[in-house]
Amino acid sequence: MADRDKRVNWVGTASLIVLAAAVLAIPLILSNRYLFRVLINIFFFAALGSAWNIIGGYAGQLSLGHAAFVALGAYPTGLLMFHYNVPPWAGVLPAAILAAMVAYLLGKLVLSLRGPYLALATLAFGEIVRILLLHFKDFTGGPLGVTIPFTGTNVWRLQFATEHMNYCICLGLLSLCIFVASRIHNSRMGYYLQAIKENQDAAENLGIPLARTKNLALVISAILTAAMGGFYMIFMTYIDPYAVAGLNLSIEIILVAIIGGVGTVWGPVIGACILVPLMEISNFVLGSGRAGASMLIYAVILIIVVLYSPKGLITLVPKLEGYRSE
Amino acid sequence: MGMQVIIFIQAVVNGIMIGGIYALVAVGLTLIFGVMDVVNFAQGEFVMLGMFVTYLLHLLLGLDPTVSIIIALPIMFCLGALVQKTLIARVVGLPHESQILLTLGISVLLMNLTLLIMGADPHSIQTSYKFSSIQIGPILIMLPRFIAFAVAMVASIILWLFLSRTELGRGLRAVAEKPEVAILMGINPKKMHWLAFGVGIALAGVAGTVVTPFRYIYPNVGQVYVLIAFVIVVLGGMGDIPGAILGAFVIGVTESLTSQYVALDLAMLGPYIIFILVLLFKPTGILGKGRAY
Repeated sequence: MADRDKRVNWVGTASLIVLAAAVLAIPLILSNRYLFRVLINIFFFAALGSAWNIIGGYAGQLSLGHAAFVALGAYPTGLLMFHYNVPPWAGVLPAAILAAMVAYLLGKLVLSLRGPYLALATLAFGEIVRILLLHFKDFTGGPLGVTIPFTGTNVWRLQFATEHMNYCICLGLLSLCIFVASRIHNSRMGYYLQAIKENQDAAENLGIPLARTKNLALVISAILTAAMGGFYMIFMTYIDPYAVAGLNLSIEIILVAIIGGVGTVWGPVIGACILVPLMEISNFVLGSGRAGASMLIYAVILIIVVLYSPKGLITLVPKLEGYRSE
Repeated sequence: MGMQVIIFIQAVVNGIMIGGIYALVAVGLTLIFGVMDVVNFAQGEFVMLGMFVTYLLHLLLGLDPTVSIIIALPIMFCLGALVQKTLIARVVGLPHESQILLTLGISVLLMNLTLLIMGADPHSIQTSYKFSSIQIGPILIMLPRFIAFAVAMVASIILWLFLSRTELGRGLRAVAEKPEVAILMGINPKKMHWLAFGVGIALAGVAGTVVTPFRYIYPNVGQVYVLIAFVIVVLGGMGDIPGAILGAFVIGVTESLTSQYVALDLAMLGPYIIFILVLLFKPTGILGKGRAY
């Protein structure tokens, strides 16, 4: 198994280097702010999809409440910055710890549930977080959310006049998510998760520690998701409960993974590369005021993928397919 | 009676009125689950469509919401049967993940299609009896809410008669309880599937119709109902119709009491917490007849 790990990691690393070289060259030649933001959005959703994939894809534990972890990353980061002037790169650490603790407790409570019950319980968890964020207005700003005013370029506060640094930060976080996801995918834990996905009872009979493995996957997924939440705060400079804890975001995260290829390392990246530009195009063609358009297209793609290509669009890419099945 | 007692009873009565409407949505959901073993995340959007159909009937023909049930009900039944035949039928028997994702896709599709066509602005229907109320001693019940409750109860009774007294209804129950045996008895499960989905969606549509006199009509409104309906269905036991009706009243009253005694904007917190507790400790529902996983 060690040999296999090495080979797979080598393929993963090589692909990463090529990809990294290509995307690192972009900031040198690109100056259009809008295109920058589109690319950052692609990285952002690819990272969220990769993080979700660890619990939702590899382990097959359908979480419909992952937006809550984005909020658990974004809110503490934003509130520490807003109320106590803590820089976001420091604030995201307690945020990630909080998300990990919440994920651990949530996992203890609900990960023993199966099928639709787990999906419903995570959905309810996401709604509980959103309702609490709306309720405690004095601290969270309620429906108005948190806005961090832009006070000029400030490296300490990670505020920049151009998108170059955001681009690099998001790319770094995406690389981290893919790295963690691929390490898990090709490790003993990855095989455990796959066994759990195939048949939980059989996995347990084989001696796989069911609860611990699932819970660890959820906690890792939550930490990465919360880190992306922290990035969202500095990138958008504004958060509110609907944007970062709403069901729509949870669905978008799942879509990225499902459409690209659920349970695969590169699926979420492919999913984000398709979905984010589609959203931009539909907003451009139909007008961004008509928010329904992009979600409508998402829905149609999701239905088509579920009915005709349940393993995701990654199966259309032969080379990556080979890597996927390792 | 002390003031505190009156406030408490008033909150319970309000909860029961709301519970009656929730019962309609939840019974439809649990019927679909029981017969088809499909978890329908789009149920709330069919409540929303029922609201919009009623709104359009009111706008174009001037129909009163209660009267428009006669037209809205068959429309919603046909829509449900159509969605079942074209989409849902393909995932019957597949893993629940596929069903959840497909119905989630249908939910997002219907919501945003409505958003594109009708816009995001909330609409409302004005009726002459909007602010009328019934007074029983110190307890006050708004007339539109009482009508909604009464219609919901009548619809539930009709459904119960249909399931227990008619050939078709017995066929539905047979497919829900023992699909293999039902096939041996000459019942066509595919026919029962679209019948169940049509009836389930029609019930959601009626719930949408009866709430229009006192609820705003907008494309995202279904999200409010779908999660509540699931809470109720799990509470009652998945697939258990009497359980769903009982669960609907429990959740309606819990919601009402939470908003009365905890905080208005935390109204939904009570039901969600009950939901997770039921999932953990009594996954077969309060009557213990539901399916567990």
